Amino acid sequence: MATATDDQVRAAELGWLERLPWRRLILILLSVVILAVVAIGAYKTLTLPADERYSTTTWKNFIILGLAQGAIIGLIALGYTLVYGILRMINFAHGEVFMFGAFGAFFFSDAWEQSGFLNSNPVLSLALLLIIAMLTSMCVAVLLERIAYRPLRNAPRLVPLITAIGASLFLANTARGFFGSQSRGFGVPEALDGTWTIFGVEVDRIQVVVLVTVIVAVTVLSLFVAKTKTGKSMRAVAADSEIASLMGIRVDRVIVTTFAIGGLLAGVAAVLFSITFESVSFTMGFRVGIAAFTAAVLGGIGSISGAALGGVMLGLLQSVGPALILTGYGIPSSFQLKDAFTFLVLVLVLIFRPGGLLGSSEAEKV
Amino acid sequence: MGEVPTRSIVRAGLLGGAGAIYVALVGLYTKFADLELVGEQITLGRVLIVAPAFVAAFAVTRPRVVAGVRRSVELRSGLAVGAVSALVGGAFFSVAIWFADWFGVDRIREVFVAVTEPLIDFLTFDKGVPAGLPILIGLCVVGGVVGGFARTAPVAIRRPATAGLLAVILFGLLQRIVPIVFVELGFEADWLYARGSGLTFLGGLVVFVIAAGANAAWNRDEGRSRERVRKSMQQAPAARLGLLVAILAILAILPLLLGTVISEVLGQVMIYVLLGLGLNIVVGYAGLLDLGYVAFFAFGAYTTGVLTGAFLNTTTGAATPALSADLNFFVAVWIVALLAAGVGLLIGAPVLRLRGDYLAIVTLGLGEIVSVITASKWAQPLIGGPQGMRGVTKAEVFGLNFQDNPQHFYYLALAFVLLAAFVSWRLSRSRIGRAWNAMREDEQVADAMGISTTKFKLLAFALGGAIGSLGGALFAVSIGSLTPASFEITVSITALAVVIIGGLGSIPGVVVGALVLLGLPGLLREFEEYRALIYGGALVAIMILRPQGLIPNVRRSRELAEEEVTQDAWATKAGAESEAVAAVLPGGSLGVEKEDLE
Repeated sequence: MATATDDQVRAAELGWLERLPWRRLILILLSVVILAVVAIGAYKTLTLPADERYSTTTWKNFIILGLAQGAIIGLIALGYTLVYGILRMINFAHGEVFMFGAFGAFFFSDAWEQSGFLNSNPVLSLALLLIIAMLTSMCVAVLLERIAYRPLRNAPRLVPLITAIGASLFLANTARGFFGSQSRGFGVPEALDGTWTIFGVEVDRIQVVVLVTVIVAVTVLSLFVAKTKTGKSMRAVAADSEIASLMGIRVDRVIVTTFAIGGLLAGVAAVLFSITFESVSFTMGFRVGIAAFTAAVLGGIGSISGAALGGVMLGLLQSVGPALILTGYGIPSSFQLKDAFTFLVLVLVLIFRPGGLLGSSEAEKV
Repeated sequence: MGEVPTRSIVRAGLLGGAGAIYVALVGLYTKFADLELVGEQITLGRVLIVAPAFVAAFAVTRPRVVAGVRRSVELRSGLAVGAVSALVGGAFFSVAIWFADWFGVDRIREVFVAVTEPLIDFLTFDKGVPAGLPILIGLCVVGGVVGGFARTAPVAIRRPATAGLLAVILFGLLQRIVPIVFVELGFEADWLYARGSGLTFLGGLVVFVIAAGANAAWNRDEGRSRERVRKSMQQAPAARLGLLVAILAILAILPLLLGTVISEVLGQVMIYVLLGLGLNIVVGYAGLLDLGYVAFFAFGAYTTGVLTGAFLNTTTGAATPALSADLNFFVAVWIVALLAAGVGLLIGAPVLRLRGDYLAIVTLGLGEIVSVITASKWAQPLIGGPQGMRGVTKAEVFGLNFQDNPQHFYYLALAFVLLAAFVSWRLSRSRIGRAWNAMREDEQVADAMGISTTKFKLLAFALGGAIGSLGGALFAVSIGSLTPASFEITVSITALAVVIIGGLGSIPGVVVGALVLLGLPGLLREFEEYRALIYGGALVAIMILRPQGLIPNVRRSRELAEEEVTQDAWATKAGAESEAVAAVLPGGSLGVEKEDLE
C-alpha cells in the first residue's frame, strides 16, 4: 500500500479537513444520511397512532421469525464461507446445491405423507429427511466441484466466478427439467403444527426445531474444524494452500471435503427451509443463495462464526427492518422490498466494511 | 487398443451414457423428438442420442502425453476405441431405459417429470423394450465411430468432414429462415428443404458437400491460401473497406429478405448486441465484472417511457406518471443516455475500491435492487410498479413505424448498433482503451504508470451504462408496454453470456454471441424452455474449454499467452484443449493467435 505513506506525509502538512480524501468524505456523508433515514423511519414507525402501530406480540413474532430464518441463512452462508476461505472463490451455485437438497427431501416427505409414515413417526421421518437432503446436496456439491471448478483451479479469478454463475443457471434449469417448473407443497408432520411456550413466549414448534437443529449443526461443524485432523488440514489449506501441499496435505482432497461439508450443511438448511415455508421450487436457490452470501459477507467471509452471526443478523434485518424503517415513511406493502433490503445491506457492508463484522479488513485484496 | 487405456475407454463410455440419461431426464429428447433436420428420420432428438457417444469418443481419443511426448491416436484404433466406448455407453443407457420400463414409467414420473411413455417409445424407436434397444446401441456405436474419426482421421479429411456435418446441423436448425431467403430471392427451395420441416436428403448432401469443399479449399496447401487472404485483408485497406461495405449491404437488405417474423427475432438480437457492446466496455475492456447490467436496461426503458408520454397501467385504466414529459423519441433517447451515464457514475463511485468478485456481487445486488423496486408498489406512481406502463412512443419518423413493423424497427436498432460498435471500436484503439487494458491486467501497475484508475473506471461505467440504456430505450419502443417481468436478473446474465461466449473485448464476438444465444432460440421456439439451461451450460463449457470466447479479441488473446506463470500453465492447458474445440468449429482453427505474432 504505497499510498498509505503518501497519505501520512500529507497528513502531517494539512489540517483535518484537507486530510479527508473526497471519497471518504462522500462515504461519511452517505453513512450519516443512511443512519438518519433509519433513525427517523424507526421513530416514525414506533410513534404511529396506536391503531396503526404493530403490537408487541407482532414484534416478538418478527424477531423469532427473523432468528429462525437467519439461522437457516447462516447454515447456507457457512457453505459460502468455507469454500471462499479455501479457494478464494464465490461458489455462486451453492444456492442450487441447497435447492437440490430440498427436492431430495421433498420426494420422500411426499411419499411418506401419503403412506402416513410422516405423521406416525415425526421425529424419525424428520431425521431421515435431513439425512436424505444432506446426501443429495453433498453429491451435487461434490459433482459441481469435480466437473465445473477443478479444471479451473489456477485460472484468473474472474473465470471461476463466471463458471459458477453458469453452473448456477445450469443447475437451476436442470431441476426445472427434472422435476417440473411448478412449485410443490412440502408436507410437514402434524406434530410440528402449533406452538410451544418457552419462557412465557409462544413459539412455533417449527421455529424451535429450526433453531435447535442449527445450533447442533454449527456446534458439530466448529468442533470438526477445530478438533479433527481433516479440520486442521482445512485450516492449513485456507491459510496457504501451496505450503499446505508441501506439508503433505492433499489439497484436492481437502477441497472436495470442504465442498462436501458445505453441501451437508446446505442439505440441513434445505429441510429446515422447506418445513418453514412448506414449498419447494427450482427457483428457490437463487434468492436464498444471495441472502446467504450477503450473510457470509456481513459476518466476514472466511470466518465460520462470522457466517453464523451474519445469518442471524440478516434474518433479523429482513424480518424487522422493512416493518421498522419503511412503515414509518408510509411505504405500501413494505415486505415487497425485503429483498431490496438484503441487497442494500450487502452493498453497504461491502462499501463500508468489506472485511465484514468479524473479518479482517482487506479491502485492497478483495 | 494399445494406445488408450481400457479404463479410460470404459469411463468415457459410462460418462457418455450418463450424459444421455441426463438429456433424457431433463426432457430434451421428448422436446426435440420431432424436430426434423434432414429427411424424416434424422431429427434433432436422434442427433442428441448420438451426441453423447460422439463427445465421449471424441474426448477419449484425444492425444495423450506419454513420457513427455504428445502422441496422437491412430485412425484405426481411434475408430475402435470410439466404437467400444460408445458400446459401453449405449449399453449403460439401455440398461437405464430397461430399468425405467421395468420399474414403471408412471412411478418414475412422480420424481422425474420428463420420463413418459412417449420418451421410452422414442428411445426404443417405437419397437418397445427390449426390441428397440439394439437399434439404440447401434446408433450410439455409429456416433462413437464418427467421434473417433473426427479426432483421429488425417486433418485434410476430418476438418472438412466435421465442417460439413456441422453445417448440415446448422442449416437443419435454420429451417425457418433459409427457405424464406431462397423464396424471397426468387429461387426454388423445395429441393433443399421439405415443406415446413428440415432439409431434404438431397439438400443435406448439397450442404455437406459445399461446406466440406469450402473448408477444404480454405485450408488447402496447409492453410496457405487462408494466409494469403488474411494477409491481403491486413495490408490492403481497400479489401477491408470492401468487406465492410459488403457486410453493411447484407445487413441493410436482411429484413427485406427475411419477412416480419424473423425480423422480429433479429430486432431482439440487435437489442442484445447493443447490451453486449455496452457490457463489453465494462467487462471486456475495463475488466470490471458487472452483474447488474439490467439496471441500465430498465433505466433506459422506463425513462424512455416516462419522457415520451407513456402512461401507467392502473386498476381503473390509465394514469399519468408523477414525472412525465412528451418528447420526441429522438430527442428523449439522448437525454436517457446522458442520464444513464450519470447513473453509471453514481453506481461506479461507491464501488471503486472493490475488485473482482466483490465488485460482481455488489453490482448484482444493485441490479436486484432496481428489479425489486421496479416491481414494488412503492414505484407505482412513478413507473407503474407491478402493473407497469403502456403507450410508449412509436418513434414515428418519415412514415416509419418502429413499434408495429419489425422490419422498420430492425433499421432503427441497426443504426444504434452501428453507432455503438463504432464508438467502442474507436475507444478500444484509443488512449482510453489502452488505459482500460492496462487497468484490467494489473490495476496497481496501471496506477503506478500514472493512469487515473478512478477516472477510467468511472468512464467505463458511464459509457457502458449509456449504451445499455440505449438498449433499454429500443426495447421500450419495440414492445410498447413495460412490465417488471422484462427487467429481471436474466437480462444481466444473458448479456454477460453474450459477451463471454462471443469473446471478451471482441466486437464481432458480441454479434456472434447474440446471434447464437438469441437468434437460434428465437428461430426455434422449441428452444425457449431450455434457453437458460443452454446458457448456463455454455458459460461453464466456454470457461473450461475456450476462455477467450468464440471470436477472441486479438490483443486479448496475445495477452492471455503472456500471463504470469500460474496463469500461463492454465492458458496453455486451455489452449491445448481449445484446439480440440477449434477442430469442430466450421472453418477449423480460428487462427487468431497466429495472426497476433505478426
